[in-house]
Amino acid sequence: MTILVLNGGKKKDWGQPDICALLSSEILSQGHSVDKIDLEDIPIAPCTGCFGCWVRSPGECTIDDEGRNVAKAAIQCDLLVFLTPVTFGGYSSELKKAVDRLIPNLSPFFVNIGGETHHRPRYTRYPPILGVGTLEEPDPEKESIFRTLVGRNAVNYHSPFHDAVVIVPGREHDLREALRQAVKKAGGA
Amino acid sequence: MMGGPGSAILLVGSPKGGASTSEALGRYLLEGLEGRGVETGVAHVLRSLRSEEGQRDLLRSVGAAGLLILAAPLYVDSLPSGVTRMFEIFATEHSGKDRLGGKRFVALINCGFPEANHCDTAVDICRCFAREAGMEWAGGLSLGGGEAIGGKSLSEAGGVARNARKALDMAAEALAVGRPVPEEAVSLMAAQAVSTWLYTLIGDIGWRLKARRHGAGSRLRDRPYRR
Repeated sequence: MTILVLNGGKKKDWGQPDICALLSSEILSQGHSVDKIDLEDIPIAPCTGCFGCWVRSPGECTIDDEGRNVAKAAIQCDLLVFLTPVTFGGYSSELKKAVDRLIPNLSPFFVNIGGETHHRPRYTRYPPILGVGTLEEPDPEKESIFRTLVGRNAVNYHSPFHDAVVIVPGREHDLREALRQAVKKAGGA
Repeated sequence: MMGGPGSAILLVGSPKGGASTSEALGRYLLEGLEGRGVETGVAHVLRSLRSEEGQRDLLRSVGAAGLLILAAPLYVDSLPSGVTRMFEIFATEHSGKDRLGGKRFVALINCGFPEANHCDTAVDICRCFAREAGMEWAGGLSLGGGEAIGGKSLSEAGGVARNARKALDMAAEALAVGRPVPEEAVSLMAAQAVSTWLYTLIGDIGWRLKARRHGAGSRLRDRPYRR
């Protein structure tokens, strides 16, 4: 299976590049292929909310940059990993600039899911999401917001399942277990 | 009771170049504060972040204000990347706590889904940012069905903005004297002005019409990245 890692960490952040390297080596050691994108190194313009990807060129962002390739990879992979420093409970701006550009992969039309309105899927299959957050010290509030956000993203992205793990110093092994479980659930064990 | 903020700055977090619902909500609140003697200013986040000079101006304006008002749309269950970048700059790269400590922060988040609760995570992130930056959390207002306002000024938006106007009137009254946004205003802002059924029906028709206008009416269900 192909696992896409969107790395929203910066070289100066805690856990970088070690946790990213650990993630990649763990994926390879389990016999899967990894497609890692270090978002800090690639220019992706912010989504402008023009909805051109829905009504001008359906399924493709009107901004012609790396954001298109990220969106393509994020629908074609078997497991989508968001790796990010937990930033006020959410994602870093580096990861968020890529996540905001995933909306071409959805349809503009509405659908009711669990009593809430969401956008319909554009594709017949979406990858599961594994959110991996890093924190320099435990913070229950931030961790809770992060887990909720990953879960909300998974509902909106029509992911068959999701998981979220927050890595704090000394708990790096949690990453290995979370990855193993996600891969197993995705049918790649 | 605390004193009023003296001055307030509206941080418009919408990346749209033109009129936005975020700015309409923020400006309505600013008008309410101005009417109560609060000095106000407006900054557009994405525009400010494009240059070093813009960032410096933004930090200067924020440094001078007693109340920070973020008005932003919901992007993929949280704040747009530009707003997150602004938070990172405020809190870390420029000694956020020294600069922001003691100020008050209020968030106005709107989304294109009819239900306001989609905005909850974004509001939580704002509250977390305020705490980390040493600011006092003055409350978060979530609005669903933002497309119904569609960037019009709230006074011109008619009945669909009635709840928002009332909620922001109550918020302005409280914020002007140093109180947090009342719970009643939070509930009123979150109350649906248009039924889900009607909102989604009109929305779906709108997408078809817009696509047709751009010559893409027959391609709405395209799957360019299908493998």
